[in-house]
Amino acid sequence: MKKAMYSLILLLILMVVLATLKGAVSIDLFHMSNTERDILLFVRLPRVMLSGLVGSALALSGLLFQYVMKNPLADSFTTGVSASSAMGAVVAILLGLGFLIPLFALAGGITGLVIVYKISSVRGRVQPITMLLAGIVLSTFSSATISFMKFLSDDAVSSIIFWLMGGFQDASVKKVLALLVVVMLSFLLVRRHYLGLDILSFDDTTALSSGVEVDRLRKEAFFLAALLTAFSVGYAGIIGFVGLIVPHVIRLMRFVKASELVPLSILGGAVFMIFNDLLSRTLLSEGQELPVGIITSSIGGLFFLYLLIKRKRELYYFD
Amino acid sequence: MINLKGIVAKQGGFTLKVDSLSLSRGELVAVLGNNGSGKSTFLSVLSGLKPFRGKYILDGREFGSLPAIERHRLISLLPQQSSLNMPFDVQYVVLTGRYPYTDGRGYSSKDMECTEETLRRLDIYHLRHRLFNELSGGERQRVLLARVINRDSPVMLLDEPLSGVDLRHQHEIIDLLKELSSDKTILLVVHDISLAVREFKRFLFFVKGTLRYDLYRENLDEERLSEVFQVRLRFIKNDESLFVYSEGKNREAL
Repeated sequence: MKKAMYSLILLLILMVVLATLKGAVSIDLFHMSNTERDILLFVRLPRVMLSGLVGSALALSGLLFQYVMKNPLADSFTTGVSASSAMGAVVAILLGLGFLIPLFALAGGITGLVIVYKISSVRGRVQPITMLLAGIVLSTFSSATISFMKFLSDDAVSSIIFWLMGGFQDASVKKVLALLVVVMLSFLLVRRHYLGLDILSFDDTTALSSGVEVDRLRKEAFFLAALLTAFSVGYAGIIGFVGLIVPHVIRLMRFVKASELVPLSILGGAVFMIFNDLLSRTLLSEGQELPVGIITSSIGGLFFLYLLIKRKRELYYFD
Repeated sequence: MINLKGIVAKQGGFTLKVDSLSLSRGELVAVLGNNGSGKSTFLSVLSGLKPFRGKYILDGREFGSLPAIERHRLISLLPQQSSLNMPFDVQYVVLTGRYPYTDGRGYSSKDMECTEETLRRLDIYHLRHRLFNELSGGERQRVLLARVINRDSPVMLLDEPLSGVDLRHQHEIIDLLKELSSDKTILLVVHDISLAVREFKRFLFFVKGTLRYDLYRENLDEERLSEVFQVRLRFIKNDESLFVYSEGKNREAL
């Protein structure tokens, strides 16, 4: 655990330095012009920080959804929270309120969450399977609504499409600080429940009779996960696969306790996302950018496929 | 240790009723009855998992007035069925039984020591690094029992702890439970009447949701047992030991 932790921290530092110096304009740290210094401090650094934090937020939210739903394939997408956040954001674009995108995304995400939660809880208890189904319905509905809005408004189509693909072009210090607070707060809250999260992996009777307040813990984890998702979507659009891939890779490295999975997923998510964003900025020549969602989805998708085929049996145990 | 008066618990169309029952420390009590007679519901009520009406005094205090964490330190429950969907090893599964003593963030070195001792006591020390879900049914059952014993609570409620366990380990578990019960109250659901009658001294019989009989071994008789289980049961006395066998449901008519 310690070793993995230090390696990831080292990798993260390395990745931050590399991603800050590389890009459309490569910067030599020791011979900087004023313009280059400005690019470094006010463009590159916030962008790298934001991508790292979004990676952490998505990885942690995915992990929490997996605990709440007892399902290794759960994350912000399967609960529909991503899609409903996106729907909120698209409404903001359509209304010409681009600067309010994060707020609308948050409103959409929380609304979606409450709907899924209301549908899937029976007498205050979340039913994992119903929640998954409600999430699928919510996702489908949100996508349909987004398509309909695209259809309605010709002039906003390109900005909607671009925003939906996800990216960190609009990074700012404000966003970085806001997301830092959200991620830190979530981490501190989750840390108090490491042992309880582990016991959630048992059946409910075993968990309850062990002294874990199952429903309260589920609700708390669920809301934190939704909050992390809404902020990520609001600041960077929909970026797929991070919440699924990162916790899975950590689990496959034989870290299975919450006390290991949570910090390693947060670090791993940051490394993974900074790397993807770096690729998105540098793969095409002459300063052109690929939307980062395309890269995470293709790298992530291929890797996930590999895991499913090669290590199916080790992924998870189901009775 | 446990005092019950006029306990009623409703769940759907099923009603559990226990008029009066008193259990003290040092008792190892077998809970018997047919399927659906209320044995598991009874244990759920005692462990606080199901709401009930009536008076329930635990360790001299009103059950409802005990803080949740206190209840779980006093009572541990082995559910009839358990599942786990994370690849935890045996040692960690047993360790999680100590949860009510933690701050929610980590286990203490005392928790670790207790776990190691419990693993040895239940003869599963050699399995400690194996994954729980890769064990056989009987081994899993012993691990889950170890998890409960690891709590070291004064009341232990065990729902079929012997199911799926081989004969040798059944006897080891019974011996261990007898030893543990010297300063605890242990209730266990058993289906093997013959075994129960040989090994235990006090019996609670449930019929259709009601605690019908609360008997000591010397008060057992063929009539009452046959009534409880709705089959014709015969006793055979052999020196000091008692054997029970079933003649089946239709023999009576023949």
